[in-house]
Amino acid sequence: MIENLSVAYDQGGHLQTVLRDIDLTIEPGQAYGLVGESGSGKSTLALAAMRSLSGSGRIGGGSIELAGVNLLDLDPEEMRLLWRSRIKLVPQDAGSSLNPRLKVGRQIAEGLDLVGRQRQASVHELLGRVGLADPLRVANSYPHQLSGGMQQRVMIAMALGGTPELLILDEPTTNLDVTTEATILDLVKDLLRERNTAVLYVSHSLGVVAQLCDRVAVLYAGELVEDATVEGLYNTPLHPYTRGLLDSVPQIGKDRRREELRPVTGSIPEPGALPAGCVFAPRCPLANDFTRENRPQLESAGLSRRVRCHRWQEVAEGAVSPRQPGRDAVHAGTAVMDRAGELVLEVSELEKRFPLRRGLGELIAGRPAAAVSAVAGVDLSIRRRRTLGLVGESGSGKSTLARCIIGLITPTGGSMKLLDIPLQPRLSQRGEKVLRRLQMVFQNADEALNPYLTVGASLRRPLERLAGASSADLGERLAALLEAVRLSTDYADRYPSELSGGEKQRVAIARAFASEPDLLLFDESVSGLDVSVQASILNLLSGLQLERESAYLFISHDLAVVGYLADEIAVIYRGQLMETGPTDAVFEPPYHPYTEALLSAIPLLDPTVRKERIRLRGENGAPAGSSTDAPGGCPFHTRCPRFLGAICVNEDPPWQEHESGKRIYCHIPLAELELMQERPVASSSRSGTELDD
Amino acid sequence: MPTPYARASQEAPPVTPSFLARVLRSAGPVTVILAVASLFMGTAAVAQVGTLRVAIEPPVQLDPAFASSDSEIAVLNSVYDYLIDIDAQNDIQPRLASDWTVSDDGLRYTFRLAEGVTFHDGSALRAQDVVWTFDRLRDPSLELPTSDLYANIADITTSGELEVTFTLHQTNPFFLYDLSDNHALIVKAGTADAGTNFNGTGPFRVDDYRVGTRMSLSANESYFIDGKPGVENLELIFFSDQVAAVDAIRGGQVDLVLRMPTPLFLTLQAEPGIEAVSVPTNAFDLVRLRADRPPGDDPRVQQALKLLTDRDAIIEAVTLGLGAPGKHSPIGPLYSQYFAEELEVPEPDVEQARQLLAEAGYEDGLELELHTPDTGDRPTLAVVLKDQWARGGVDIEVIVQPESVYYSDGGWLDVGLGITGWGSRPIPQYFLDVMVACDAVWNEAHWCDEEVDRLIEVAGTTLDDEARAEAYLEIQRILLERGPLIIPYFFPQFGAIRETFENFELKAFPGRSDLAAIQVR
Amino acid sequence: MATSLASSQAAQGKPSRRLRVLKSLFERRSAAFGTTVVLFFLLVALLGPLLAPYGANEQILSEARQPPSLQRPFGTDHIGRDVFSRVVLGARDIFVLAGVGTLLAVVAGTIIGLLASYLGGLTEELTFRFFDSVLAMPALLFALLLMGTFGPSRGNVLIVITVAYIPIVARVVRSVVLPVKTKDYVAAARMQGEPITRIIFREILPSVLPALAVESALRFSYAIFLVASLGFLGAGVQPPNPDWGLMISEARTFVSLTPWSLYFPAAAISLLVISVNLMADGLKSVLQGQA
Repeated sequence: MIENLSVAYDQGGHLQTVLRDIDLTIEPGQAYGLVGESGSGKSTLALAAMRSLSGSGRIGGGSIELAGVNLLDLDPEEMRLLWRSRIKLVPQDAGSSLNPRLKVGRQIAEGLDLVGRQRQASVHELLGRVGLADPLRVANSYPHQLSGGMQQRVMIAMALGGTPELLILDEPTTNLDVTTEATILDLVKDLLRERNTAVLYVSHSLGVVAQLCDRVAVLYAGELVEDATVEGLYNTPLHPYTRGLLDSVPQIGKDRRREELRPVTGSIPEPGALPAGCVFAPRCPLANDFTRENRPQLESAGLSRRVRCHRWQEVAEGAVSPRQPGRDAVHAGTAVMDRAGELVLEVSELEKRFPLRRGLGELIAGRPAAAVSAVAGVDLSIRRRRTLGLVGESGSGKSTLARCIIGLITPTGGSMKLLDIPLQPRLSQRGEKVLRRLQMVFQNADEALNPYLTVGASLRRPLERLAGASSADLGERLAALLEAVRLSTDYADRYPSELSGGEKQRVAIARAFASEPDLLLFDESVSGLDVSVQASILNLLSGLQLERESAYLFISHDLAVVGYLADEIAVIYRGQLMETGPTDAVFEPPYHPYTEALLSAIPLLDPTVRKERIRLRGENGAPAGSSTDAPGGCPFHTRCPRFLGAICVNEDPPWQEHESGKRIYCHIPLAELELMQERPVASSSRSGTELDD
Repeated sequence: MPTPYARASQEAPPVTPSFLARVLRSAGPVTVILAVASLFMGTAAVAQVGTLRVAIEPPVQLDPAFASSDSEIAVLNSVYDYLIDIDAQNDIQPRLASDWTVSDDGLRYTFRLAEGVTFHDGSALRAQDVVWTFDRLRDPSLELPTSDLYANIADITTSGELEVTFTLHQTNPFFLYDLSDNHALIVKAGTADAGTNFNGTGPFRVDDYRVGTRMSLSANESYFIDGKPGVENLELIFFSDQVAAVDAIRGGQVDLVLRMPTPLFLTLQAEPGIEAVSVPTNAFDLVRLRADRPPGDDPRVQQALKLLTDRDAIIEAVTLGLGAPGKHSPIGPLYSQYFAEELEVPEPDVEQARQLLAEAGYEDGLELELHTPDTGDRPTLAVVLKDQWARGGVDIEVIVQPESVYYSDGGWLDVGLGITGWGSRPIPQYFLDVMVACDAVWNEAHWCDEEVDRLIEVAGTTLDDEARAEAYLEIQRILLERGPLIIPYFFPQFGAIRETFENFELKAFPGRSDLAAIQVR
Repeated sequence: MATSLASSQAAQGKPSRRLRVLKSLFERRSAAFGTTVVLFFLLVALLGPLLAPYGANEQILSEARQPPSLQRPFGTDHIGRDVFSRVVLGARDIFVLAGVGTLLAVVAGTIIGLLASYLGGLTEELTFRFFDSVLAMPALLFALLLMGTFGPSRGNVLIVITVAYIPIVARVVRSVVLPVKTKDYVAAARMQGEPITRIIFREILPSVLPALAVESALRFSYAIFLVASLGFLGAGVQPPNPDWGLMISEARTFVSLTPWSLYFPAAAISLLVISVNLMADGLKSVLQGQA
């Protein structure tokens, strides 16, 4: 369908080519995955495929054919007709794609050719089809009244409206919780099964593509580097880049003690500064003089398989390994890691309730505000050299918990101890000695650094203030700090806008390490990063922990990522811990039903393992029934797939100890749980329970 | 200071409180017989036609007892009548009083009222209404602006429906002028809401009053003076900005403007279809230095400032040549029988002024604040003086304030160096009594010269007009020679009327101009 | 927005940044015109006494009311003052009053805005509710009220401009601070135990500066107008100062006799206000367009 396509962006007069010679054919009923790091050009390709590039985008050459018609020959009016019925796009951010002033039913109806009652019925049918339980209510809602997952379903319903021949999904689940993502993916899968639509699915997540697609194309720096069936690609990747991507993804059961991540080093070249030979050569473990100087062609590598590599045959034969070199230091440190040190942090009965905003009158009258409970009595402890992973969906209170510990938020109850000394709740009450022992790395790399300060300025300050560096050895310590996060010293003079996301996060990590803290908090610190960058940061953190012997509290919504780094895991739901225990134990049955759902939602890299999943009803942000305060009993009862009955609603569950050392907060006896549940990863023949309604 | 000053029209310091305390020792029989008939010449009732649209400033309030500004008086003079009126030549004229007699001892004034006068509500004017009006104006407990002016009245009685007699404590040669005071409009006895009911005897009835915007009046067809009013409708349109008012007459939106600044008068003079009129007055701008504290307490400083002031240049620059030359005394050329024609103001002499200042201890110069209200030509006068006095090393800082602010709370009496606008009055004694005499209420210069004080006493009490003239002459000589008063000019009043109208006569106090006399040409 | 900020901030602090802004400013025709005129007036204000052939209050009565000529390029007014000299000398007044007034308002408004919106809570609430109530009144009315209370003088004009514009500046500052103060780098600074002053001025202030630059220029143009209006209404600078608004007020009744003494100061005000606005517009698009 797409042939020799190249696309350029007009940047103030000169054209910057971002896609070169793309050939891609999607058959009807086929789901085609398009993967690559950010900057690879995958979103541009998606937009170009439907000829809706933004203002400065130019299609330089080639053709885009839809069922034999070259879209590039059509006039704008014909294109409009096409967009109306035959090609549809589901964008990444549904919230900003919906018109906030129109009811969603109306917005869906506008895309239909029907009128009157028939149109109404059709809207409701579409909404029902995308799994929305109450189509009538949803159709009469404004977008802001819907949760993110519901908005995305509405977008999909809109896209299905015209019975399109080609459906393009551009990262449709990236901003959603894992559990929500899983249900959306199920939906897309079902839709594929029942229709003959061709789907182009753009994603950075290799797991999602593996679970959903028939074929995968890997894009790198505007070029198609590998194109194969999912089985072929995931089992025997031929291109070193594909290999690197796969090796970057943390997987359950493969933590740092057993297998390190081997991410692709370096970063994607800028469109204006491509290497002369193979575009991947600078990052390629197999690069040699020949590949650095000669540009490879997309070659056929067997049945329905193409690869753009000079040395793919050697890889296929097993003569060379396309894997990135590992670092032995990780393994050398294993012994140290197992020797847990003294207790660094001890949190007991920590509680945070947020008052609802009051008016000025109420403020002056001193009227007490209604409150929302974000953290409800949490106990945690972390030992030196150990990592505690904290897992939960958005809104689970995990960030609030971290900010209470760090002092950015004042808890409303409970106590904290740092190295056996009580920790003042307010940041302003903590002396510099406390501050230096406790640091945090945030999620958003773009916001972590002051855009107006150089990297050096951002790092010098904590060195001076907290680490007591004198002006004499400041330069030396700055260099050492940059070296520790694998950045060269000339980064000190750069501004954050000159850094990539991964580099920014390294600087943020360096800043946190500047005072040589005893405890470091990582709040989703690798979540926004590309897989290879994420992997290298995870390796970096792992290495730093060995060197500096800090304790980590590592927070993420991604169980696999947490599992890679953590020695122990705590699962949190609506401010309440559900399960705690050693990592290995947490990944083994019996699970808490919530943990089970989280594990089940992880899209596995292995396309052959297509397990049935545990799906959660409702959404985390908007649990049915309760508004401001957690319901009595188990907070998870509203969504629990193994809901027992009144006891879950009315009585607090007991903390059950398991022989593996983990604890589960559930009414269901452990033995019963163990019987019902299965191990998710190890073997490949699976049967499961479909519990969704 | 009572309120009227806050709203005072620019040339109208309010009523005279004290000069009627003067005593007339002997009083010859004064009988004024009036050629009333002359007013009734050509009495054949002229049909009132046309609408006269007059631009005036918005009146603040319209109770005759409080009214003071030109616009307020202009409204009231159309709705009510005075007992005694004053003409453009400052002579006494009858109005509601058709004639009067004065007793031999000069203490009893008996007035006969015109016949057939009715109020707008239809009731007839009776002597009792005149008594009630003046009893109200002189009642000390009401604290009206006129209570001092009429303090010399011992008793007011009626004899019959149309005769009223005023009995004075002491003789007063200016009593008839006092009765023509701006506030002395005759109100129906017992009126409680004089400011809003507009039940006058005057030539026009109020049909509609929109506060701040306009007032519509129509001719009083049963007006007692035949031939008046001359127009069927009178529209008083309120302009708070004189420039806008002049624009309006140029554009034909109004027919008559009662007051305007000098340059606008010059502009209108060249305008076809518009008759620009001016009337000489005894209104003047007074520059005075307080003589009771440094530096004004040193006569050399007073003299130096006079020597630095180039009067002729000021007349040229400030009044654009239209002002009458002043001689530092409030007695102007309008009072031709008293004005000292032969006295000359010395030429400015910067050298001598510097020397005087040096002798007074100000060889390094003198810094002064000059306060002035923001109306008329006063700010310009201040700016010109700044330039002239700077030549002698006197550095003044001009402080312009809104007139209403400047005249309120006695601030104008307090400042060291200030400019005050004084409105025209029919007789010179007024200024001497209220401003120059040692114990004058508005002795703003705080200057006391015993010789001048004695002369004022003489002039205000003697019935010998020659002696009075002599005293006035001596006062003018002294004020030219010494004292802290600088009066560079007397300015005329300007008005303009579209040529489609006739019989407009501008009076020195523009608000007293007779709108009822105006007719369509 | 985030990306545009990030990239425009790339050059922050490098010596060439100011030059680059100026260069981009001159690439836009209207902004170039505005900036040139403003700089020209600034030059006139600085060199004032050197350029003016006569004193501001120098009256040559024999030459009063002369129309513009080679000797008297703007003519003379009703009392023989040189209108050209007065307009030239008045430029300094405008720049000093409007400029310093704006500067004070920007400095104070920035400090208050930064502090109140960073501290949040009741402080912020009360501060900005109070400012809102001040802003409910038009600036000129507010200014007249203050001038009426404290009396007309140059110092009071300065105070009035400052007081009238502090709330506006503070609100602009607040609109930038609110999203910035929750940024992680601010939290990081707090975790380093940085004092509040350093957090506000070092971490937050730089983000406010671009918006502040545009707002300052805009405020300046309004301040010029306010000074002139106050002068015109007699509530501002006192005669015989060559304040443009005052000159217009003085010349108004002479409009048919010496129209030039009205038109030249009026033209000067219009030109300067328009130019400052063009410059502000340009500055805005340059600072935003650097994305």
